[in-house]
Amino acid sequence: MLKQLYRAALLTTAAACFAITSLASFSVNAKGVYQSGPDFFTEVFAQQQAESKVLWLTPEIRSQAAAIVGHPVRGLRIRYHQSDSKTAWILEEIGKEMPITIGVVVEDDVIQQVKILAYRESRGGEVRYPAYTAQYKGAALQEDYQLNRNIDGITGATLSMWAVNKVAALALYYHAAVNQSSATHQP
Amino acid sequence: MLWHRRLGLSTFVVLIFLAISGFALNHSPGLKLNQINLSSNWLLDWYGFEIPLAEGFQVDGKWFYQDGNKALLVDGHNAASCTAPLIAVAQTTDGFFALCSNGLNLLNRDAQLIEQFGAIDGLPPNTQAVTVLHNKIYLTFDSTTIDSTTIDSTTIDSTNIDAVIMEFNAHSLELKPAQIAPKALKDMRQAAMPLPESLQKTLKEQSSGPSISLETLILDLHSGRFFGQFGVLFIDLIGLLVCILSITGLMGWIKRR
Repeated sequence: MLKQLYRAALLTTAAACFAITSLASFSVNAKGVYQSGPDFFTEVFAQQQAESKVLWLTPEIRSQAAAIVGHPVRGLRIRYHQSDSKTAWILEEIGKEMPITIGVVVEDDVIQQVKILAYRESRGGEVRYPAYTAQYKGAALQEDYQLNRNIDGITGATLSMWAVNKVAALALYYHAAVNQSSATHQP
Repeated sequence: MLWHRRLGLSTFVVLIFLAISGFALNHSPGLKLNQINLSSNWLLDWYGFEIPLAEGFQVDGKWFYQDGNKALLVDGHNAASCTAPLIAVAQTTDGFFALCSNGLNLLNRDAQLIEQFGAIDGLPPNTQAVTVLHNKIYLTFDSTTIDSTTIDSTTIDSTNIDAVIMEFNAHSLELKPAQIAPKALKDMRQAAMPLPESLQKTLKEQSSGPSISLETLILDLHSGRFFGQFGVLFIDLIGLLVCILSITGLMGWIKRR
């Protein structure tokens, strides 16, 4: 009798331990790479012929980009894909401590899509949900280099949200810079 | 009672030291002794801490190294983000290529970051080396992480069957199978070397290495452990002598009365 009781108690403990650990592992699953850069570009330009291009960051672009994101930008060139008036960018920005990799598609100076490609922080991963990123669709850049609309935040993901906002504005600015330079180069 | 006086005199210095260090330990929280950290070389050596010599790559007169804190330093200047370890550095006439575990950093001739080629851009995981031969850039991978259709029998390293070599285009960031003998690349590869003294010193000042708190040091001196087994025995002996001296002193005083 006592032996049976003991065995039952042991089994319950084991089951409880298993449940707790599996629950815990579910909650940290926000971390990860969701899509690679090449896959993102293929998906975005499924039917179109897209060209891989490079935007060299001139001192003016660098200083304006630094003003948008609030710190100096790294690197001397940015890679993007273009098909007519549509450009796609993969940019990184630090949320709290780790960089978030964000893909942004811009068409005619308006955001068409924002997608989180990799998220490395343990909290705030809710920004990757389509319900959140859909808010950016149709956003454009104001005179003061801010987005022309309010983005509804997510509780507990404020820093990640700021990072996505900055990257969205930066992609719009780079898109404008690309169009400007191609306009001046044309005879 | 001459022996008594001589013994008393010989313990005098040690007793004063034990009294002062005991006082310091008693008031350690107030004096904040545990917050004072000592990290002088001889002290860490004495405590058996191994201070690894920081290593880096010297390419074209510049030192490339990792600061232990996610940055690639070039002659003390923060050039790019770099997760340890810094695996290899190579140069072409266009610039430098520094391979870290989080990606390949493309730097210009002034060691300024042009861009980073990371896993998200299509760099296979477990990249083992970056090598330059005849101004062409070659990346060596673990073959288990590469699609088997791209493997050409000529590119398989004869000494290391798991390695695959691909040629890297620094402008388009494209990888293509390379037609090159692995042996030729192996000879071009540079090993990491210890950094020169001046860089070693600045790196140490910037980063927080091992240290010992003043409280630990005083406690070890007080108990004699600082000098090992013999130190403890010596302090034991002093303790024993103090006991003997106080008993015999008392006995002598009673006898004289």
